[in-house]
Amino acid sequence: MHHSIELAELYVRLGNVSVLQGVNIEAKPCEFISVVGANGAGKTTLLKVVNGILKPSQGRITVLGYNLSHYKNLNFLRKEIGVVPQKSNSNRFPICVEEAVLMGRYGKIGLMRRPKEPDWDKAYEAMKAVGISQFSKKLVPELSGGEQQKVALARAIAQEPLILLLDEPTTYLDQESRSEIMEIIHTIHHQRELTTLLVSHDDQLVEQYSDKIYLLKEGKGYLIK
Amino acid sequence: MSWIQTLNFPFMQHALIAILFAGIAFPMIGVFVLSLNLIPLRFAMMHVALLGGAIGLFLKVDPLLLGLLFCILSSMALGPISEKMKLGVGILSGYFMTLTLALAFILIYKADIHVLEAFNILWGNILSLTILDLIIVGLISLMILIMVFLFFKEIQAILYDREIALAVGLPEKLFYYLIIFMLGLTIAVSMRMIGALLIDAFVLLPAMAATLISRSLKQTFFFSSLFGLLSGMAGLYLSFVFDIPTSSTIILVASLIIAGCFLFRRRLSGYEKVR
Ligand SMILES: Nc1ncnc2c1ncn2[C@@H]1O[C@H](COP(=O)(O)OP(=O)(O)OP(=O)(O)O)[C@@H](O)[C@H]1O
Ligand SMILES: [Mg+2]
Repeated sequence: MHHSIELAELYVRLGNVSVLQGVNIEAKPCEFISVVGANGAGKTTLLKVVNGILKPSQGRITVLGYNLSHYKNLNFLRKEIGVVPQKSNSNRFPICVEEAVLMGRYGKIGLMRRPKEPDWDKAYEAMKAVGISQFSKKLVPELSGGEQQKVALARAIAQEPLILLLDEPTTYLDQESRSEIMEIIHTIHHQRELTTLLVSHDDQLVEQYSDKIYLLKEGKGYLIK
Repeated sequence: MSWIQTLNFPFMQHALIAILFAGIAFPMIGVFVLSLNLIPLRFAMMHVALLGGAIGLFLKVDPLLLGLLFCILSSMALGPISEKMKLGVGILSGYFMTLTLALAFILIYKADIHVLEAFNILWGNILSLTILDLIIVGLISLMILIMVFLFFKEIQAILYDREIALAVGLPEKLFYYLIIFMLGLTIAVSMRMIGALLIDAFVLLPAMAATLISRSLKQTFFFSSLFGLLSGMAGLYLSFVFDIPTSSTIILVASLIIAGCFLFRRRLSGYEKVR
């Protein structure tokens, strides 16, 4: 398996809007790629395409060496992709932090199987790496926005993915916590040898952590670093 | 006649057994409905069942049977259709609800049926259940319990956040459709038991009470079943003691339980906003 993401001449339409119009982005194994752009530039759309949730109207997407258009069921790939969504609608029912993080294991555990000791260990490791161990028994809806974002990050890491997709992981954070979580992400990226694709509107913030930065503008992607 | 003596009647035994099954299993479906925002869908399914009933009356076929059939068919169709058309299940439900109601009224009018007769389909009677009804209620209850037991983690992830369930590599759509299908089955049988209008006594109210005081999905399922069983049994008993309609009594008890849970609810600022 190649540890990589390759988007070639990607076109995506949502309703009547052409959101992406010929985007080329490449993330080589273990690279940290950032995509920046204004609100509505198509950043979230881009990540959804990589994860196979949205289908492009044209273009080729290769993730971990698999051409997505060749597969009807992408669950096998999604197990290898950790996702930190931009916003989560996660406060419908109460769930404590450790269970929410353990959820990252659910795909890999397999249908009908229960989480075992090693799964819990991985969840605890992930919570420790992100720095939320002290909240493990708290309810997710009782946490602040920033803390909830760390829970999402811990879940993605507990999954032990090869690829990490991050959608504005710093949205709810103050200036100080922004740098803190970027440091955490960067450390984990290196320790676990991940291929990371991060989208953000804050190009200043991602500058020092990224191997490459693309600017998404009017449907096109421009390599700016 | 004392309460214990009434248990000698088969219809009372049947009611008790039905409540035992439905009281435990149906509130779990209520937990799905609340977490996934399926309340409009459940409304739509009731109306679809009404259309089935009207067609039954029109064609002189058992209206209940056709109602059930329609409910099951719609529960299999609604999920995938809404997904394909990229509409929310809520919007599609609204469409179905009004359309089926209009069609039902046209049929009822043309067939020269008394409207009240048509609406009988919506009422049901827990004190007139046959052995076959019991078998159906028992089977569906078992299916729900087995589903929740075997697929607890998949269900937990989907109820928590469908997007996350998909992202971690679970067959999220499949389970979502399964949940909608089970909802359809449950509505169909509870319509027979307690009537469509009172389904919420078994499906929604215990689940609502449970979400108020639970700290995990396991607790939510446990308390919703407990409350369902409790309100069903107490409702049946009290309706005899005070000689009042059974379904309404069950609802009253369930509402009291909700009120009690409100008093004991966790004090959660962020969580309250959601309800
Ligand atoms: N379901 C949809 N139907 C039609 N248009 C959509 C849909 N979803 C998004 N869009 C449009 O696609 C464009 C890109 O949306 P996207 O969410 O990818 O932007 P973004 O870069 O993530 O923005 P933000 O920084 O605000 O998160 C927007 O103009 C948006 O209006
Ligand atoms: Mg976005």
